[in-house]
Amino acid sequence: MAASSSLSHFFSFLLPSKQPPPPPSPPPPQVTITTRHKPTPNSVSLVAQQHDPSSSSSSPSELSSVMCPSLAHANTLFFRSAYNVQVVVDDNEPEERLLNRFRREVMRAGVIQECKRRRFFENKQDQKKRKTREAAKRNKRSRRPPLRSPLQNRQDALPTTKKEEDDDNWDLPEEDGLSA
Amino acid sequence: MAKPIPKIGSRKNGRIGSRKHARKIPKGVIHVQASFNNTIVTVTDVRGRVISWSSAGTCGFKGTRRGTPFAAQTAAGNAIRTVANQGMQRAEVMIKGPGLGRDAALRAIRRSGILLNFIRDVTPMPHNGCRSPKKRRV
Repeated sequence: MAASSSLSHFFSFLLPSKQPPPPPSPPPPQVTITTRHKPTPNSVSLVAQQHDPSSSSSSPSELSSVMCPSLAHANTLFFRSAYNVQVVVDDNEPEERLLNRFRREVMRAGVIQECKRRRFFENKQDQKKRKTREAAKRNKRSRRPPLRSPLQNRQDALPTTKKEEDDDNWDLPEEDGLSA
Repeated sequence: MAKPIPKIGSRKNGRIGSRKHARKIPKGVIHVQASFNNTIVTVTDVRGRVISWSSAGTCGFKGTRRGTPFAAQTAAGNAIRTVANQGMQRAEVMIKGPGLGRDAALRAIRRSGILLNFIRDVTPMPHNGCRSPKKRRV
């Protein structure tokens, strides 16, 4: 009796404490809220979430598009279906511009690339090859600007060393002093 | 046991299949599934109940021509024509799959005069789930 009553007290203590956490659960950092009422009709801010699921991808101004590559979690909380890319359309947007915007977002999310990769199974060897190729591509893009400084240092060092060689005296001593 | 309750749409009274679909739906969702070999366009309401559908295959294309963007365009046009009569004004577009029909269907939807709210890509992405089929050695 005492045990059951204590158990019931235990559970009653647990239940009200459990209720608050689920409803106001904070959204995970990758999730961004799309607002339907935008102040400006045409501007759509693009948000990239590429290889950084930990960083929050909240847009600076009114946010209208969200991207979620397969690495980050899908946005399941705010809409019934999880989506990878969302583009909010205004009514007066020309067709080509809308298509380009959609295509660009999809490319940034890497949806089609992922699909092609997952069509067939890829063994370890192929996976390694792909990874090195991707890494090479990424490094090539971001490594170009810092390359200029080591070249400039080399150019400054070379003329100074040449000057020291020019100071050496290679002339033979005069022969007048020897004959005596 | 008690008598079984007769269903409203029982077969004995004749097929009442299409009578219910006279409802007017101002807002809907257009799903476009664009695979490499075909494009299927389905128009549903907001809850997901299908109103009408069309695909490149049903539009008369066969074989490899089903996967082309032109076929996707005709399929999308076909699907929306049947729905525009029911008075749909606003729609959301959900695009799934990597095929060539993605852009073409979107273009056709845009041209058809239906106002769009969102365009979403809902291609299903496994978080490294099931093992894919083996590589083709062609």
